[in-house]
Amino acid sequence: MASVKPSFFKDPASTQSIRGILRVVILLTIAAASISSRLFSVIRFESIIHEFDPWFNFRASKYLVKHGFFDFWNWFDDRTWYPLGRVTGGTLYPGLMVTSGAIWHMLRMISLPVDIRNICVLLAPGFSGLTAFATYLFTLEMKDSSAGLLAAAFMGIAPGYISRSVAGSYDNEAIAIFLLMFTFYLWIKAAKLGSAMWGGLCALFYFYMVSAWGGYVFITNLIPLHVFVLILMGRYSGRIYVAYSSWYALGTLASMQVPFVGFLPIRTSEHMAALGIFGLIQLVAFVDYLRGQVPSKQFNTLLRALVILIAVVAFSGLVLLTVTGVIAPWSGRFYSLWDTGYAKIHIPIIASVSEHQPTAWPSFFFDLNFLIWLFPAGVYLCFRQLRDEHVFVVVYSVMASYFSGVMVRLMLTLTPIVCVAAAIAVSAILDTYLEIDSPEEPDPDAAETKKAKKAKESPLPTGGFLSSKAPYIGIYSITSKIAVVGAFSVYLVLFVLHCTWVTSNAYSSPSVVLASRMPDGSQHIIDDFREAYYWLRKNTPYDAKVMSWWDYGYQIGGMADRTTLVDNNTWNNTHIATVGKAMASGEAVSYEILRKHEVDYVLVIFGGLLGYSGDDINKFLWMVRIAEGVWPNEVQERKFFTPRGEYKIDHEATDTMKNSLMYKMSYYNYQNLFPPGQAQDRVRGAKLPAEGPVLHTLDEAFTSENWIVRIYKVKDLDAFGRDHFAARAFEGGKKKTRKGGLAGRAAGKRGRRVVRV
Amino acid sequence: MRLLSVLATFSSLLSLSVAQKPHKYHTLVELSNSGKGPKGQILLNDNNYNDLTSAPRNYTAVVLFTAMDQRFGCTLCRDFQPEFDLLGSSWNKQHPKQDGIFFAVLDFSVGKQTFQRLQMSTAPIMMLFPPTTVGSAAEHAPIRYDFNPNDVNAAEAVAHWVSSRTKQTVTIHRPFNYVKFVTMIVGVIGTATMSKLAYPYLAPALYSRNLWAALSLVAVLLFTSGHMFNHIRKVPYTVPGRNGGVSYIAGGFSNQFGLETQIIAVVYAVLAFSSIALCLKMPRMESAGSQKIAVMAWNLVLLVMFSFLMSVFKMKNGGYPFFLPPLIA
Repeated sequence: MASVKPSFFKDPASTQSIRGILRVVILLTIAAASISSRLFSVIRFESIIHEFDPWFNFRASKYLVKHGFFDFWNWFDDRTWYPLGRVTGGTLYPGLMVTSGAIWHMLRMISLPVDIRNICVLLAPGFSGLTAFATYLFTLEMKDSSAGLLAAAFMGIAPGYISRSVAGSYDNEAIAIFLLMFTFYLWIKAAKLGSAMWGGLCALFYFYMVSAWGGYVFITNLIPLHVFVLILMGRYSGRIYVAYSSWYALGTLASMQVPFVGFLPIRTSEHMAALGIFGLIQLVAFVDYLRGQVPSKQFNTLLRALVILIAVVAFSGLVLLTVTGVIAPWSGRFYSLWDTGYAKIHIPIIASVSEHQPTAWPSFFFDLNFLIWLFPAGVYLCFRQLRDEHVFVVVYSVMASYFSGVMVRLMLTLTPIVCVAAAIAVSAILDTYLEIDSPEEPDPDAAETKKAKKAKESPLPTGGFLSSKAPYIGIYSITSKIAVVGAFSVYLVLFVLHCTWVTSNAYSSPSVVLASRMPDGSQHIIDDFREAYYWLRKNTPYDAKVMSWWDYGYQIGGMADRTTLVDNNTWNNTHIATVGKAMASGEAVSYEILRKHEVDYVLVIFGGLLGYSGDDINKFLWMVRIAEGVWPNEVQERKFFTPRGEYKIDHEATDTMKNSLMYKMSYYNYQNLFPPGQAQDRVRGAKLPAEGPVLHTLDEAFTSENWIVRIYKVKDLDAFGRDHFAARAFEGGKKKTRKGGLAGRAAGKRGRRVVRV
Repeated sequence: MRLLSVLATFSSLLSLSVAQKPHKYHTLVELSNSGKGPKGQILLNDNNYNDLTSAPRNYTAVVLFTAMDQRFGCTLCRDFQPEFDLLGSSWNKQHPKQDGIFFAVLDFSVGKQTFQRLQMSTAPIMMLFPPTTVGSAAEHAPIRYDFNPNDVNAAEAVAHWVSSRTKQTVTIHRPFNYVKFVTMIVGVIGTATMSKLAYPYLAPALYSRNLWAALSLVAVLLFTSGHMFNHIRKVPYTVPGRNGGVSYIAGGFSNQFGLETQIIAVVYAVLAFSSIALCLKMPRMESAGSQKIAVMAWNLVLLVMFSFLMSVFKMKNGGYPFFLPPLIA
């Protein structure tokens, strides 16, 4: 028995089929684990679409399966961005919707009519299984199948990826990370084999990626960078040439078929690196060819001069085209990645999104646990062999670490490579310490001769890499093996526990439905959002226009099915600023804006009663800033701060603040919930003035159970032609003042003008 | 109505200034063009501050209250001063007679009384005194400017602000920076020459795998320990804590101090290095006894460091339920 066992494990031929079966079983188990760990929210709440953007994707998917592909392609949506509308078919990445549409049709074909909502909810977990598989393939190219399996397992449950792919999180990233990993795998394969077929396949998946997520730019720049580094290292070869040329030519042509991308690949700076490397590699190939043909030294010098000249001319041509405006400069979002202060000053709308904030170190640890410190070790191990594909891992690691440090959201692109590098490190350690055979300890004389030998063969095969100069021997003591393997098993178990805990606590809340605990420990569901959206759907006319801050645009469109002014697709800054101005100005100014945009209802989110901190008053300063960016003379941020520079909502609040529409709508009638003078805002921990704000131009229409959503109806013009301030004063029983006060005067001047319009 | 008032302003400005107060306007023009201080700027003191800002004004005065002396440590004052100089000289170049706008500076060292009288405790402060010739008393009150420290081109911002409060447009003409231009060209040529000369010596290093490995690892460690956050948010290095100590771990999950990230980077580096040592160095040791000790030592270092990391993370995130012995926070 003892003599059979080692040979059973050792002989690769006899165990190949068992290993193959085991590999499949393990991969399937990993896929099952990665899917099931993403189902917390479905089990706890229900099968529901999460957050904001997914609601739009869901709405678009419903449109796709209802009206068919061509209608979807030409879809002009007049129910968003009122009165502008949005050419939705041409301004979205259709990959996600087309994928779920295809799945829907496929299931129907085999007589499984599944509701499109369920497909949308479960798409991300399903694709996470595929991502694990793609990671396995990628790591297989780097080391071996044991590293591949580890990488797949890490990828399956790493919170950095789960954060964007739990059930219900129906967003572009749901399928994009799979496509990212698979495209990279195909690229590595193409570069290794120098095959145009693999290059073409890579281009095909690149096209799929382009159609699915704006983050495709990462691939567009990373592959050229890899090629560039290889050329600099003097590793140019025909394989690289074939792989890159076939990928670039086919991939770029294919990507231009997506309407939203169109001519961007030849007109924007983000894509110029790929084009430049394409030119460079032609030059390098040309030189390489000539070098083989012409041995003359002088000719080589001449050639080098020629190449440098061409490069300089090409580069200055590029600069000239950029300066003259043929090639668009960096887009704002992309530019803010390099010049980190840029967005803060120039594009408040980007700075306002919390996903675009820099990453503090706890987030890295939270999302990756012990992978984060194995990551550098894995990168170091890649340097040891440093084949072409290892260069790719190194380049990817450095770039992705930088980007994820600048923008929280890009943690998503870092996670795959961290999993791969960490798996390489763990599997290298396990390879060493799981070896059952121990080497014989050499006697001192033999060691002496060995050392002498070693000194002779100085140029080592590893290229003089520091930590692997001495020959490999192995681990002698079984205790050491048990200690190290035991410790790493504990870390791995801890990692699994950490991932489960993070997923269950941090990433599984739909944010449409909030959960809280009752004093007795039972769960209480707060369902204000859906309550309010359902009220809108049932109690307002189908063509009613609802104004809200852009965060809630997609939800109103998806759940309430009503026309919105602005939504999460923030393409028109001026229109968003208009809404910001309406919220930040006094009623007289706001009413004019509301009338001009034919707004029927205004919706605000107010968390003061419940202590829900993501409400509109906390976001209010961004509305002010964005409005100030367009109308610096009419909206000024500092007027919302007290003289001491504080943002207050209590009796110290500035007049501008108290008169702003947002403040009035948030706190209207709020003091009536409390005993006189006791009104309290639980988010900002402040006591409110005893007398609440008075609304002249709006009527409260609906307030949800916990006051989170408040909806106001915009009053029609007064039947007697008065302005609303005078009308209200009249109804209040006061004698009509001569001019109706200062505010009334302003309204009188402007309000009547609207009537004529 | 508006047009009339504008006309009134101009007429009073151009023709009646002599009648109203014969010498004041001319004195101010002369002061602006005098050699003292930059062109187009009046250097004020306690005495002529009152002359400039006293009630009958047929001009707009923009006054910067500043504290340039090193002792006050007002960096914003010193940063802003060249911008204000540029503003004054730009206006003066186009309007040698000032045409109704004066730019003046009152430094704290020569205007202590005025600072006290106006109860100013901070600097810089900039005020715009509108003309008193038209409008009500409320409209004559000086308007205060809000400094934005992030503003790179502050002169343009102030010019815009002044333009929006007067009827005239103030434009800025930044002189071309020849020094910077020449420095840049010399720098480019110098770098090119240096790299050409040093290439034979640098080439081995440039192709050294160890160097590139070290650089990549440093970059990765720097970025994953939150350096970019420090860079963007400009967090303090440490913060004086309670009882006179220094607190170097920030409370809260999405907050950090400079020193804290360095500690974390070192912890990551030690952890990564011990795993590298375990998988590359250990199996290459020849003596069985020392190998055993070394493996145990690295294993222990790894455990303690990871345990420390977990406990720090627990400090940041109170609800975190996991820990690793021996350090249990």
